[in-house]
This record gives sequence, structure tokens and C-alpha cells, in this order.
Amino acid sequence: MVKNLDPKWAWEPYSPGEKQPWTKARVGHLYRRLAFGANVAELRQGVATEPQKLITNLLAGRNPSPTYDAATEEYLASNAEKFNQDVQASGWWLYRMLHGPAPATEKLTLFWHNHFATSNTKVQNVGHMVRQYRLMNRNALGKFDVMLQEMSKDPAMMIWLDTVQSKKGMPNENYARELMELFSLGIGNYTEKDIREAARAFTGWELKDGKFAANASQFDDSPKTVMGQTGNFKGEDIVRICTKQPACAKFIVKKMFRFLVSESEDISPALAAPLEKSFADGFDIRKLVETIVRSNLFHSEHAYRTRIKAPVDYVIGMTHALESRMGTINGSLNLATALENLGQNVFHPPSVKGWDGGPTWLNGQTLLFRQNLALDLARRPAGPDKPALALALAEAHHCKSPQDQAALFLDLFLQGDVPVETRNRINEYASTVTKQKTPRFWSKRDIVEQQAVSLCHLVMTLPEYQLD
Amino acid sequence: MTNRRQFMQYSSLVGLGSSVPTFLARTAQAAPDAAKPGAKDTILVVVQLTGGNDGLNTVIPFKDETYAKYRPTIKVPEDRVKKLNDHIGLHPTMDGLAGLYEDKALAVIQAVGYPNPSQSHFRSMDIWHAASTADSLTEGWIGKALKTMNCPAFHVAGGNESAPLALTGAPARVPSITNLADFQLKLSDQAGQRDIVRKSAMPSTNTGSQTGLLDFVQRTASNTYDSSKKLQELSGNYQPKVPYPQTGLANRLKVCAQLIDAGLGSRLFYVSIDGFDTHASQGGPQGSHANLLTEVSGAITAFYKDMAARGHKDRLMVMTFSEFGRRAKENGSKGTDHGSGAPMFLVGGKVNAGVHGKHPDLNDLDMGNLKFTTDFRQVYTGILDQWLGVPSKDIVGEGQKAFKVMV
Repeated sequence: MVKNLDPKWAWEPYSPGEKQPWTKARVGHLYRRLAFGANVAELRQGVATEPQKLITNLLAGRNPSPTYDAATEEYLASNAEKFNQDVQASGWWLYRMLHGPAPATEKLTLFWHNHFATSNTKVQNVGHMVRQYRLMNRNALGKFDVMLQEMSKDPAMMIWLDTVQSKKGMPNENYARELMELFSLGIGNYTEKDIREAARAFTGWELKDGKFAANASQFDDSPKTVMGQTGNFKGEDIVRICTKQPACAKFIVKKMFRFLVSESEDISPALAAPLEKSFADGFDIRKLVETIVRSNLFHSEHAYRTRIKAPVDYVIGMTHALESRMGTINGSLNLATALENLGQNVFHPPSVKGWDGGPTWLNGQTLLFRQNLALDLARRPAGPDKPALALALAEAHHCKSPQDQAALFLDLFLQGDVPVETRNRINEYASTVTKQKTPRFWSKRDIVEQQAVSLCHLVMTLPEYQLD
Repeated sequence: MTNRRQFMQYSSLVGLGSSVPTFLARTAQAAPDAAKPGAKDTILVVVQLTGGNDGLNTVIPFKDETYAKYRPTIKVPEDRVKKLNDHIGLHPTMDGLAGLYEDKALAVIQAVGYPNPSQSHFRSMDIWHAASTADSLTEGWIGKALKTMNCPAFHVAGGNESAPLALTGAPARVPSITNLADFQLKLSDQAGQRDIVRKSAMPSTNTGSQTGLLDFVQRTASNTYDSSKKLQELSGNYQPKVPYPQTGLANRLKVCAQLIDAGLGSRLFYVSIDGFDTHASQGGPQGSHANLLTEVSGAITAFYKDMAARGHKDRLMVMTFSEFGRRAKENGSKGTDHGSGAPMFLVGGKVNAGVHGKHPDLNDLDMGNLKFTTDFRQVYTGILDQWLGVPSKDIVGEGQKAFKVMV
């Protein structure tokens, strides 16, 4: 249990030892949490790198990433804005996650997208969504209080939570409420009266030519009382008052722990205390993230496979592991659309609370969508006139037999960490698969491809692969 | 305070029951005979209006001058209202439900809520789902009912929609289904792989060091493979007896109709429609709120008529609810902020048709919000005890006077 751990030990930087050796499983864990999973080369190099050095590298990003093409990215972004196309926008972001120079920053940006969950279903303006993404991306490892101030004036947010509609004498409470409930404090740390008073401070906040503008004539220019303080507050003051509440650091630390460490257990007060103290002093997100991912706790069994893979992690993780160089929105398999079925359509969170995550990701339908998508991906040609991704990968890594392939896929997707009986079942399948009857018209190549796809998919359908 | 997430962490894991479920196999044999009078084969379909439905513009007190005064830009004028009696009427877009009212198939329960209402979407929704205002909400009211009923249930989900708290705590995990065609596992080598996939989804004998999450995935997978196998045996294309509107909610209710008609023995269904958080420009007789009510009324009416044409109308009860109503006065954005106290609808061949409860007094507000006159747990109590035949005291506790839901 996390709550029984000694906070001093828990937050000390991890260094490999006899009891906690640096293994491929630990490399895989680090890559899943601070990026979107590792491929064969990253796993191999990761084990050979000193862990704290590897963390430094991951936080710094790949520079330059071997599969990244700035022109493609630019093309996707400008198309998304120009045609006001949602699917282009999510394709663009997925491209950044998959091929971009800084997966760790993208991962944290996704955290903040879930925190400031804004949906284009209401905003109806891809340009605003892209600019909100850039705001979060820029601040993803920056200062939380700064991001919260900027977010309060972000056009997408102002449309999403009706700040633009809020007028003197008849304030709209939507933003004031979610600022407290979901963005900074959490339920139970404010009153309904705080919300009504705070809403008055955001009156007159409008968009002019798509940019924030304060309209003095619509501002409620009179004293408000919020959290026990009285003054002729403006919106900025309310945001500042919120971040000064002790509940704010607690709220963010708790959420970050859940994101980086565990969905199985909440952070205990004793473990949270040092992080909260440090975070309240300057709201330094990078420091918070670094403390967590460098720690003994993060590299212990208390954090290992203690989350359900989010759909984005699942999809980008598989695609990256299979070393696909394909884009994210073109072709027959559109990752942006696939994500919608899995329940995580980026730029379209289901509500301002974001995605609940954890067990809610998996229900009957989404599990089947995941398993079926895994098959489609394994089968997807690696390129024009190239075999399926599963076979291309097996050949690139010199697999000579189905048994070799089984070992490769188990190592790649699960770092070999599966129950003995599961491994036996898969090995047995690998040893019999060559004896199976296939349609007569199949070429030898077709048969080999089918075997690689089947083995790859079999490993991806294992329950362990749903864990993060 | 325990929130939804914590709840999902702990209780949904332990609430999954002990056995790896073969739930459809078991219950398909027990599929009830609809023609048999008095058979305990009643069905409840819950329709959730997500976001906080504006009750005051749904069931409209058209004679009350205060109503028009509070809502200068979004009021529905008297001549447009579908009158139910001399005081109140339905929004003009709800002609379908107004027709069901004429047919004595609609009950309107006014001003439903609970004491000290939360105006957080998420907290209030959890309270309705769990039928409790306790700090820590761990199981859903339908999930608990399923422990007694022990029959299959379905969450027919729209995209981006996760399983509701209301269904948690059931002996076998309630599957979410988007559409039947997609509810199957594709394999490149069906014959060779199916058995391995299924066996790998069984909890491992060596689970000592594993977290509850792996167990959760395994149970979900096993349950899903079983359900999917069974559902594939249903006939492909469902031919409704009446046309359904081309809307998301109608599509989901059509899937419910197909599952009901397939005779799988399922008695509980859950569907949602989102978008009721109308803080701005919600409109009056027309507009965004009107469009939502059109979808609700059209879908439920088609579903009821389809079920009636198949002889299921006296087994069927549709219940609508929303996490809260909205502020009595409109705001400066021609919308409404979060409020409390809102109507519920019950639809079915045997419902206690008519208008029930007291309409909230617009001149007696609580911080601008309508006061509830019927506790939602009274409605749940009635549904559980009278309609589903499940003792309500284990679910909503004692002390709630049952609302009479059926005739």
C-alpha cells in the first residue's frame, strides 16, 4: 500500500540496486508514463542508459526526432485551421505525439487538456482549439498559476464556459464554478456564494477579433467577497485568490499523482505533503513532474501497471512500437477517427470534467474496439508494396521463426512480463501455426504474413497490455 | 469527499462479483414470456438528460405571470404550450409525449430533487446514480438492483460515453454497446486464436503481486467475449414497427428495442443524451433547448410505439431524469445557470399516467432556485418495489415514501 510508505524513501531519486534492478520492464514503464511507450531500439538503449540520465533525455525530448517532418506537421496544422476540420486537428496532434520532438511535453499537454477539458463540439472553431493547445503545450511543464491566468482569457475556454456571455448585472456562473470545482480547488473547497460573487468579477470579458478584451462598460465595478476576502476584484484577482488557497496545490498534486503514478490508490496525505509544499511555492510543474518520475516510488511495484492505458496511449503506443511511419489521418486507417470509438476523441472531451479514465476506459464495446483496432494496425502495410507492419517488424529484427516472433512481440509490448501459462500458450501457438491449413491460393508470403499478424495480435490482446 | 474517480478506483473493482460471468448463457434460458400475465418480466429503460435539463421550460407553468417575468427572452408563450391541464403544459416540441399523455402512457412528476442540492454537475449526477447523498458514493442504484434481479442489463452508449456509475455494483459487469455489428472480436485466425484469447482473459493462478486492475481487465474481457458471442446470434437487421427519428438517442433506443425483442431476458437498459447545460442562448419555443427536447420526445415516443406494436408496452417503463434543473430566472446570456428541482417523466403502458407532485412555487425560491416537492428516491422506491419487484430498502434505504409509479 502506498499509504504505508516512508515519504523520505518514496521521493528520493531512484538508483538501481539488487532489489530494484534496472530492467527492460522498468524502461517500458518509464516510457509509458513519460512518453507513449518504447519501441525495440528504445528498450534496448534504455537498459544500457543510466536511469536518471534517461529521464533527463526523455524530458528534454528527441532532438531531432528521426521520423519527424516539420513540413508535414505544418501542413496538417494549417489545413486544420484553414478548413476548420476537427479530424485534421486531432490528426495533427497525434502526429506530434507519434513523431514530434518532445513526447514527454505532449504527454503532459494531454494531461492539461484533460484538466482544462474544452470541447470543440461547443467552441466550433478549430483555430481557437489549436491556440488553446499551444497555450497548454507552452505551459505543460511551466508554472501552473501562469497557465491558469492565461487559460482564463483563452478564447476557446471563454466560449466553452460562456465567459464571453457574462454581463454586468447578469453574470454567467459557468466559468467561475468550473474554475473552482475543476481547475483549481475541487468540490468542497468553496461555497455557492463564492461562485456567484466570483462570477461578477469575470463580467465584461469578451472576445474582440478573436482575442481577449475587457469591456469596462460591462464590468461589474463593485466590491465582491470571495473566500473571505472583499475587494473590487477583477477576474485575474479571483484566479490569484484561488491559487493561493491551500486546496489548490493539494488538488493538482493529487491529480498529477494519479496521472503519473497510480489509478489504483490515491496519494496519502503523508506522501503528498512534501510535494504540496514545494508546488505551492512557485507552482513549478516541471519540478513536480521531475520529483515524481525520478523517485523510488515511481520505479517501484506501487506504480507498475497501476493504470489502465488511455486510448491515446494505446493507439500511439502500438503505432510507435510497430515502427509505423504512416501518417495519422490519411489512408484506410484513420487514427484520429479510431480514437473516437475508443472513447478519447482529443479536442472533444465528454464534459468539462474531462475523461474519468481508469476502469471507465474499458467497457464491453471499447475493449472490442481496442482489440479490433490492434488487428487492423498489425495488418496495415508498412508502406507501398511492403508487408504488414507485424511482419515488417519481425523481419527488421531478424526473426527466423514464429517462435522468434513470439519472443519479439512479448518483449516489445510487455517486456516479457506475462504469466508462465500465457507465455506457454503463445509459444505453443507459435510452434503449431506453421502446420495450419491455409487456402490453396495463398502464396508462401501470404502465409508468413498471416502468421506474424496472428502472433502480434495475440500478444496485443493480452489483458496485461491494457495496463499502463 | 469521495468523488467519481475514487469511486471508480475502489468500488467498481470490488463490486464486480466473484465468478467470471457467463451471464447471457444463464439468463437466456430464463427469458420471460411477455404474454404471460403477472410475469415478473418488467423492463426499465433509464434515459439520462446530461447537463441539467431546464425543467421550467420543459413542463411549463404558462398561467404563472412570474414565469414570463423571470424569463423575458426564453419564455414559451401560452399559445405554444402543449397543455396538460389549466396550469401547466409541455414544451411545444414535445408533441410526441403530449400524445402519450392523451393515451395515458405518460406520468409527469413535478419538481423532483433532494435536500441541500449540489449544483456541481458531477456531484449531483453521482447522487442521482447512487441514490444517496453520502460523501462516499460507491455503487449505483441499478447495479444494486441487479444483485437481486440477476438478469442481463445493457448500457447502450453514444460515442465518448463511459459506463455510468448507476450500473456499477452489478454481479456481472454491465456491457456498454454502441451497435451490435461492432460488438464482436475480430481475429485473423479464429479457429486457432479464440481459445487462447479466452484463456488468457481468465484470471491467472499467479496473481499474488498483481493489482486489482489486471483482475478488472480480465473480468471485463471474459464478460465481453461471452456477451459478444451470444449477441452475434441475433438476427442482423432490426426492422422497427414504426419509424424512428434519425437522432442519436433514437438510434440508441432502437438498439434497446432490438435487445428487448430478442428475448435475452434483459430487464434494465441505460441510455443518455448530452447537451442540457444551457448556460447561453438556449432559446424558447425554438433553439438549442427545443432541439434537445425534440430529440427526447421523438425518440421515446417512437421507442414506446415500436415496443407497443410488438406487444411489450405493458412490460415497459421509460424513466427520464437529469442531475438538476436550472435557475428560475434566465441569466444575461439568454440561458440559465445551474439550479435544482426538475420534472421526471415515466412512459409505459402501465404507468400511473397524469401529472403528479406540486409544481414548484416561483415566488418561493431558494437562492433563486426552485424548491423540490418530491424526492427522487421516492420515485426510485416506487420503481424498485412496485415495478421491478426489488426491495428498495437495500438500495435507497428506509423512510422514503414510495411514489406510485404504476396503476
